[in-house]
Order: sequence, then C-alpha cells, then structure tokens
Amino acid sequence: METNLVVEGFKFMALGMGTVFAFLVLMIFAMNIMSKVVHKFFPEPVATPSAPAQSGNSKAKVVAAITAAIKFHRESK
Amino acid sequence: MRFFILKILAFTVLAFAPLSASNHVESENLSTHKEENYHSQSLTHMVKGFIASTGIVAILSPDPDELSSTGKPMSDFHKSWGRVLMILIVFLLFYLGIKKGFEPLLLLPIGFGGLLANIPVADIAGPHGFLGVIYSMGLANEMFPIIIFMGVGAMTDFGPLLSNPKTALLGGAAQFGIFGSLIGAVALSQYTDLFSFTLQQSSAISIIGGADGPTSIFIASALAPELLGAIAVASYSYMAMVPIIQPPIMKALTTEAERKIKMTTLRHVSKLEKLIFPLMVLVLAILILPDSTPLIGAFMFGNFLKESGVVDRLSDTMQNALINITTIFLGLGVGSKLAADQFLVADTLGILVLGIVAFSAGTAAGVLMAKLMNMFPGTKVNPLIGSAGVSAVPMAARVSNKVGMEYDRTNMLLMHAMGPNVAGVIGSAVAAGVLLSIFK
Repeated sequence: METNLVVEGFKFMALGMGTVFAFLVLMIFAMNIMSKVVHKFFPEPVATPSAPAQSGNSKAKVVAAITAAIKFHRESK
Repeated sequence: MRFFILKILAFTVLAFAPLSASNHVESENLSTHKEENYHSQSLTHMVKGFIASTGIVAILSPDPDELSSTGKPMSDFHKSWGRVLMILIVFLLFYLGIKKGFEPLLLLPIGFGGLLANIPVADIAGPHGFLGVIYSMGLANEMFPIIIFMGVGAMTDFGPLLSNPKTALLGGAAQFGIFGSLIGAVALSQYTDLFSFTLQQSSAISIIGGADGPTSIFIASALAPELLGAIAVASYSYMAMVPIIQPPIMKALTTEAERKIKMTTLRHVSKLEKLIFPLMVLVLAILILPDSTPLIGAFMFGNFLKESGVVDRLSDTMQNALINITTIFLGLGVGSKLAADQFLVADTLGILVLGIVAFSAGTAAGVLMAKLMNMFPGTKVNPLIGSAGVSAVPMAARVSNKVGMEYDRTNMLLMHAMGPNVAGVIGSAVAAGVLLSIFK
C-alpha cells in the first residue's frame, strides 16, 4: 500500500509543533529559574560614584607625567 | 666463450632496440598530437567558428548536445528563450531590490548570480565555473547558512526575551506556518496531479514559513537541493514583503481594543543573564534535539562572543566583515540555482504559492496564540506582537510596532515584539532540527 502523504504530514506536524513548544516551554522555565538565581546570588553592583574620582586621579597622573617629561627635556638641553 | 657473451649482448641489444624505437615513436606521436591542436585555418573558417560560439547563435539555435550544469539533458526552451526569460526575471529582482528596497543585500547577489548562471556557452554555474565552485564550497555542504547564523547571533540581543520570557510561546506558535504548509504541500501532491513533491521536498518548501533565510537554505540544501533556488528566492522575497503581507492579517484577527493594549515596561536584564542564556539554550538543544545544534550552536556561539564583552574584535568581525563576505558568496551560490532549467519548472510556482501560505499561516498563528494567552490570568499581551513570532528579525517586530502606533501613537511595541521575534529564530531552528531528525 502506498503511504498516505497527508497522514504523514499530520504526524510531522504533531511531532514538530510538540517539540517546538516543549523546547520553548522548557526554555521559559529555565530562563525564569536562571534569572532568579542570578538576581539572588549575583546582583548587579549598583553604580558607585567612584568613577569621577578615578578619572581625576588618572588625570593627575597624566599631568605629573607630562611635567616630568618637560623637566627632563629642559634639563637634557 | 667470448663469442657466446657477445652473442648474448647482441641479442639483448637487438631485443631492446625495437622497444626503445617504439618509445621514440610514441613520444613523437604525442608531440605531433599536440601540434595537431592548432593547424592553419582559412580566415572564413575562423570567422564561421567564432560566430558559432557567440551568445546570439547559442540562443537562436541551441546546441543539441549541451548539458545542464548538473549534467542532465535540457529542453530546447531551457537552452534558448528560457534563459532570456530568466535574465528578465533577474532584472525584476534588481528592480525590487534597488527601487523597492526589498532585501537588496541578498536579492542583488542572488539576482546577479542568476544572471551569470543563465549565460550560454560559458557554463559559469557548471562544476568548473566559478558559481559552481562557490556552490560546492559552501552551499552543497550547508556551510554558508551556518556562518550567517553566527553573524545573526552576534547581532541579536536576547534582553527583551529574557525580561518577558512567556513571549517565547508566540515564537513557537508562529512555527505553525511551517507545518501547516507542509500539510498543504503533501495534500497538493497527493490529491492533485499538478505537483508531485516528495515528503523531503515538501518539508524543505514549508520551512519558508519559518521566515528565516539561512534556515530555509540550510534545510533546502540538506533535503531538496534541486529546489534550492526557488526556495531561497521565495524565502527572501517574502521576508522583504513582511510589511505588506502581515498587517492585513494582523488587523483581521484582532479587535481595536486589543490593538491598543499597553504592555508593562520591560525589566532590566543583567549582563550575567545575557551571558548565561546562550549556553543555557545550547544545553537544552543538546539534551532534547541534537539535530538542531548546528544552527543553534552557531547562533549561540555568535551571541556568546558578543555578550562576553571581552572579544569585541571577533564579535565585530562576525557582525560585519564575516557576514558580509558570506552574504556575497551565499547570494551568488543561490543565484547559480536560478538557471533556466532548474527555475522555469512548474514546481517553482507551487513553491511561491506554498511559501506565501506558510508565511500567512505563521503570522495568523502567532496573533491567535497571543489572544489565547490573554484568556489566562496575568499581564496582558498585545496580540500585534504575535505576528513577530515568525523570525524575519527585525522586520516583523518593526511591523508590529508600526501597526500598534497606527492605533495609539504612544504605544511603543518594538522592544516587546523583539522577544517573540528572537524566540521565532530559535523556534524555526528547532523545527528545522525536527525535520532533519525525521529524514535521518
């Protein structure tokens, strides 16, 4: 007997849609669990106002370096 | 005794003499054969030979012995006017790409590949022509779609999906377009005499409903390489026509009140979540459907490099240089399948029709799924984002946003629609994996 292609098509659909939904539902569960775990154990650090201080610090370093370079240049003349 | 030795010597010399002589004759034969490649011709003879090799003659009076690039005999129509017709179709693709802005990045390379593939005499799409070489280099072995997937992964932001995970279901529902049109394709072959698609061919055609170019090409070259050209052209043309195809379906299936639903603002997603997500999905794919891991693995590889934040050079290459180079080769390789003998067949018409059915069914299923989700308690979903469940990133999400804005200027749906949109990419990769696993 020749296989009925349409019946095969419906089987494909049942398996295919079933797998797609099963995969995505699992993915949704995994996402929810994962975000709970991440938020509980690895909360994102709140932005600290230490950033400008750091940049000021590095600015001072740059100024110091330039001054030293100029001094060296003048002395070596 | 000495006489005897001399005799033997003489004998050996005599015995070998003819042998060396024949060697000599053979090499002489070879050299004369080489010289015979060119012998003096009269000028009229040369001109006649040249005229016989022109394109005009090849089109007007096709060579009866010419074989197609796949080594099969072709009909006279496919050798002559079919090629002219294909070149006109290619011009139409150029028009759509340049003037109408329909996916020009792909339609132009595909179109030009098609133009080159339809040149008579030169056999550019044959196994030794450069299009044929490109095809066997990266399409016959499904390489280029995978590289494109890496680049798409590196461009994808899973943030919207992570902040509202349940919208992934919409991306699943839209895959109904794939399997619905699969049944349509087999029903056409079973109950009518118009088409006779095999199950493999039907599956390859129906994946157009996934609205994902690389996935379509991946599946087509694995299951039905003979239909690759038509499937790729249909897939990319319909993706380009998303803004035309989807809105009427979305409006027909929703009420005005539903279209005005406002969705809650998305929560902030931490960097660590985004970094874990690609690995998590890949692990799920490994456990459930290893057949989908070529696609999902490449996709998540690109995404992981992007989210890691430490290899910006690599992720930048994937998003730009690598995907651009591959797009050129992919387009030309697909174009090589636009040769008249492979494209101008009744099947192509069936593929174009089934493709648009698949696309529309996917859109409708996504919208209906959103309405179904609204029947359950919990935060409401605007059904307009359901249509973004067909992949077509980011075009489908933009369409959701645009239709939403038509009814409420302040309703920004774009980020909400990106969730189902990227879930649709994962969904169609899973659907592709299922189809591959069936035919293994």
